[in-house]
Amino acid sequence: MNRFTKNLHYFSPTGKAGLIILSLFFLMAVFSARLTTHPHDVSSGKALMPPCFDHVLGTDDIGVDLWSQLVYGARISLLVGFLTAGISGCFGALVGMFAGYTGGWMDRFFMRIIDGMMVLPDLPVMIVLAAFFGPGLAQVILVLSLFSWVFTARIVRSRVLVIKQKEYVIYARISGAGPVYLMRKHLFPEVLPLVWVSMIRLAGKAIVAEAGLSFLGLGDPTSRSWGLIIYHATRFPGIYYTRFWTWWLLYPFLALSGMVLALAFVCRDLETLADPRMNQKISGGV
Amino acid sequence: MKKLGRLTEYVITVLIILSINFFLPRMMPGDPFLFLSGDQGEQISAYSDEQIRQYKACYGLDQPIFRSYLSYLADLFRGRLGQSLYFNESVGHIVLRRLPWTVFLVCGAILFSTVLGTALGSLSAFYRNRLLDNVLYGFMMFFSEIPAFLIGLFFLFVFAASLGLFPLSGALTSFSPDRSVVQVLKDIIHHAVLPVAALSLTRLGGMYLLVRNIMISIIPKAYMRTARAKGLSRYRIFIRHGLRNALLPLTTRIFMSLGTLVGGAVLVENVFAYPGLGLMISQAVMVHDYPLIQGIFLVITLLVLSANLMSEVLYRVLDPRVKDGEG
Repeated sequence: MNRFTKNLHYFSPTGKAGLIILSLFFLMAVFSARLTTHPHDVSSGKALMPPCFDHVLGTDDIGVDLWSQLVYGARISLLVGFLTAGISGCFGALVGMFAGYTGGWMDRFFMRIIDGMMVLPDLPVMIVLAAFFGPGLAQVILVLSLFSWVFTARIVRSRVLVIKQKEYVIYARISGAGPVYLMRKHLFPEVLPLVWVSMIRLAGKAIVAEAGLSFLGLGDPTSRSWGLIIYHATRFPGIYYTRFWTWWLLYPFLALSGMVLALAFVCRDLETLADPRMNQKISGGV
Repeated sequence: MKKLGRLTEYVITVLIILSINFFLPRMMPGDPFLFLSGDQGEQISAYSDEQIRQYKACYGLDQPIFRSYLSYLADLFRGRLGQSLYFNESVGHIVLRRLPWTVFLVCGAILFSTVLGTALGSLSAFYRNRLLDNVLYGFMMFFSEIPAFLIGLFFLFVFAASLGLFPLSGALTSFSPDRSVVQVLKDIIHHAVLPVAALSLTRLGGMYLLVRNIMISIIPKAYMRTARAKGLSRYRIFIRHGLRNALLPLTTRIFMSLGTLVGGAVLVENVFAYPGLGLMISQAVMVHDYPLIQGIFLVITLLVLSANLMSEVLYRVLDPRVKDGEG
């Protein structure tokens, strides 16, 4: 905790704001049941009610309370974001360490795959994959993970290539350290901050991608993710000719943007914390 | 040798895409004949088993999977993408009709974001750490993080729904014959402004940062001082001596992010109901139209890949130092 507060000083104002917003969303997700008075999946009032005292953010076309939907939607966004980040972060870190450490044809093989996946337009592939796996939260997470690990793997690999050449690693190897010992004792602790940062980046990407897929109607129809609320609202005939969009579409939009921005700001600060050169490298990379 | 390696890499990627493209849609849940026979979502089995068998034979869906894979590859090489199950039209025709709109959006966004990003980036570098730089930097950091389709939604709220400045959807005003070419062009641009702006805005940040950082590192260089000492105009120094350095990284950036941009375009098209490939693919997925999904997916990915292949050739032209081998 002490270390946490100490690190907090390094955060920029936007990073701090991001942290606050993120923790608010976390609280929303954890205490969903306490925060809402209406069910999030069953109709609880008249259809398309504007925001009023009973329904703080109004209701949608079948009379479901929007505030409840938003609060429970935070669960889905966070779940998708962090599970995807966890799965692909772990897998990417493993592949990156392995490829970077062993080198040779294994390294080339993985780099080919990674390079190939980097140029692929990810969304069309994700659409096809999501259509094939069928709608469902687990499938969405799986599809997103399938595409995200390459980012972590690339970063980790390039770092491992550098560390591998360092004297203390070479000395350790000369002293008889095996690959597993080297990875556990020397490589892993060095790349860990990078992995954390890339995982947060991935969480943001995954949340956006999930919203995008849901927005195309490829999300889990039984969940009420923010993307799905937007999907239903935009499919409502003549939504922009009425005032309905001012609550039905606006609030999920704001929630999603807030989440994405908060994650991005926190991530940027963490990047500079983990590696002060990293931001320059990203922005100035050739 | 290395050049050949790059080429085989592309060939392998294409083959993998073709295989994914063939097998995945076939494993999708759902049955096109249930959707052919009823409205979306309803399951009216208007076809008898006999008829369904007949249709499957007609579309080749009763063949063993390996045979149909081979005939699929053979058809592709002849340029045939198959027949759409839902629209009962050749996939090639549908794709060709929709493709120009998507290409238009993507190219517009590239052009707009590159030009504006370069201009603002140079401006920012020139006024480094002054008010203008700080404001621009903050603005870019803010908007580059929001995905294009959310920005598109925001534009739709503000400029189309509230202010009514731009049309809400589509690419052309329908039911208005007898218009001159100029009017039609104006109409097209009017419809494209919001989608292109939404797509550009997310990319702008990356372009801006790239140019800003390059210019900041270039400005203190000795040859810039020499150029100024020679009495060249400020404009000329900036363009000829400064911005030239940004040419290569900018091209790389444009091509590297093409895939993401196309993905963004797919979503933005759905926001604005813009009649490109992105809108089509989401409709095709909805009705389980295998050949159409396959066709669109294939055309998009192959276009992005060939653009990347082209960029490597372009690279060698722009920077003669890049010999075969580095890349």
